[in-house]
Amino acid sequence: MKDYLHLTMEELHTAYVEREVTPLEVVKLCLEACKKDTNNIFEYLCEKEAISEAEGLIEPEEDNVFWGVPYCLKDNFSTKGIPTTGSSNILADYVPVFDAEVYHRLKEKHAILIGKTTLDELAMGGTGTSGHLGKTFNPYDPSHEHMIGGSSCGSCAAVAAGLVPFAIGSDTGDSVRKPASYGGLVGFKPTWSRISRYGLFPFAPSLDHVAYFTRSVKDAASLTTLLSGRDEKDATSSEQPVKKYNTLLGGSIKGLKIAVIDEILKSITDHDVLAAFDKTCEILRSKGAIVSRVHMDAELLRAIYPTYIIISCAEATSNNANLDGLKFGPRESGNTYEDIVTNTRTKGFSTLIKRRFVIGGYSLLKENQQDLFIRAQRCRHLIVDAFNKLFDSYDLVYLPASPSCAPRFDEKNDNLSDLYLLSDNYLAFANFGGYPSLTLPIGFKGNLPFGGNFTGRIFEEETVLNVSHVLMDEMPYYNLYYKEEVK
Amino acid sequence: MKPVNKDMLKDVAHSLMFDMSEEEYALLEEEFQTILKQMSLIHEIKGVENVEPMTFPFVVYSSYLRKDVPSDTLDKDEALGNAKDVVENQIRIPRVIK
Repeated sequence: MKDYLHLTMEELHTAYVEREVTPLEVVKLCLEACKKDTNNIFEYLCEKEAISEAEGLIEPEEDNVFWGVPYCLKDNFSTKGIPTTGSSNILADYVPVFDAEVYHRLKEKHAILIGKTTLDELAMGGTGTSGHLGKTFNPYDPSHEHMIGGSSCGSCAAVAAGLVPFAIGSDTGDSVRKPASYGGLVGFKPTWSRISRYGLFPFAPSLDHVAYFTRSVKDAASLTTLLSGRDEKDATSSEQPVKKYNTLLGGSIKGLKIAVIDEILKSITDHDVLAAFDKTCEILRSKGAIVSRVHMDAELLRAIYPTYIIISCAEATSNNANLDGLKFGPRESGNTYEDIVTNTRTKGFSTLIKRRFVIGGYSLLKENQQDLFIRAQRCRHLIVDAFNKLFDSYDLVYLPASPSCAPRFDEKNDNLSDLYLLSDNYLAFANFGGYPSLTLPIGFKGNLPFGGNFTGRIFEEETVLNVSHVLMDEMPYYNLYYKEEVK
Repeated sequence: MKPVNKDMLKDVAHSLMFDMSEEEYALLEEEFQTILKQMSLIHEIKGVENVEPMTFPFVVYSSYLRKDVPSDTLDKDEALGNAKDVVENQIRIPRVIK
């Protein structure tokens, strides 16, 4: 039997239309593979729901690429009647009473939800280690010593392990685009406000984006076409017209101006990453793009990470105030309602989340607010101004998505080094400015993949997707997933 | 800025309505040494006073008025379904007025 489990969404659609296989057969294969997961991917496997949905899909819809395609959803998207925990004990038994808009749109197209994937608790983290189910492992490392990254760790690992052709995540600082680098995947976040966040647990709404993992750029483009557009239930969703992004791929990139930021590139020391990155720059030049090294204020770039930490933790502190054990979630006992809330939050949140909340609370203290929170918001303004200025002259920014392949769990960082502040944490600039940003695989270090990242002007998704598609066409990384022979 | 010590961290945690163990406060106090150094990087940026605080990536032009037509709302069972202590369609908490 053909390996239907490891096709891209587009390829699987063709197999359905040609009646080679049915959604029910594929879903059963998929569930069987998911049950053998050793990477700690799932919060909840939607076995009954998926089988039931697949049984109803008989006549393939030729013009609907999502029809019968299995996928996963990060467990911070609300799914009516299906437990949704945010990988936090404070929501251990929470069952949403409405659907997130993203889930609703996929359901309408008859995509089949296979499982809810684990994450760093409440999406606050970048290592895939802080969820209530523990560490999620990188499928490329069977010894389980290397991380897949986070916070969308389960969604990334599900696609990288070849369990599903795509999975939905969320990206507040780099939570899809960095794991995509460690998992050898396409990870795309469109422009802020492009996709409705209705039903996505808020972490830091001024930075939160819906994003997704795929194994081809075309699949990412198809998802962008489906999920983009105004949703009355999310007042921040944009009314900008939506294009058929999946039909806009493959055009010439001749004359496209691409900026490589010297200060960030110079902070990278991994020769494998630098060599692979140079090679991709040569490919882009050979296709007619103008790739130039540019300079930016290094102090401003070093301020990206602290600006992100201050703003995101402060927003999270406020957004998660509703997790009190009164209206939903496990409830601890207490003599007063304040005691109930305090006891519930003390027991329900992990240490790491509490520490982040305290950082946010510290930034918001009356004595600190001007010096930290407001100053960080002003810094964000200057950083975005600097990138907008760059985008006046260049169509795209292109850089390695991470300074190396996936780190080991026990690897220690110097959190004040340029490696950490510049190359390991620069991707948040795309959240500050809301720019569309895409990671794609560009090389391997030993058995572990790593990626490059394109970021473009707001609402110019087609430029980011097209250049990524053109580059991917020239590399052997289309439909990449972990298999033993991969090198 | 307010100096960081264990008592201050406790105050912040309590104001956010949770507590931590003594070991966790000690770990956080230690962690703050690095966090404060990272935070100090934003103080080296010149010209911040010349720009407004940015609260969204860009301006979203949106109509906040929806059409005045009835739409589906949650029914009582759904709205209360996740609460642990419900009496007469209301969430029960300990008596507030003694």
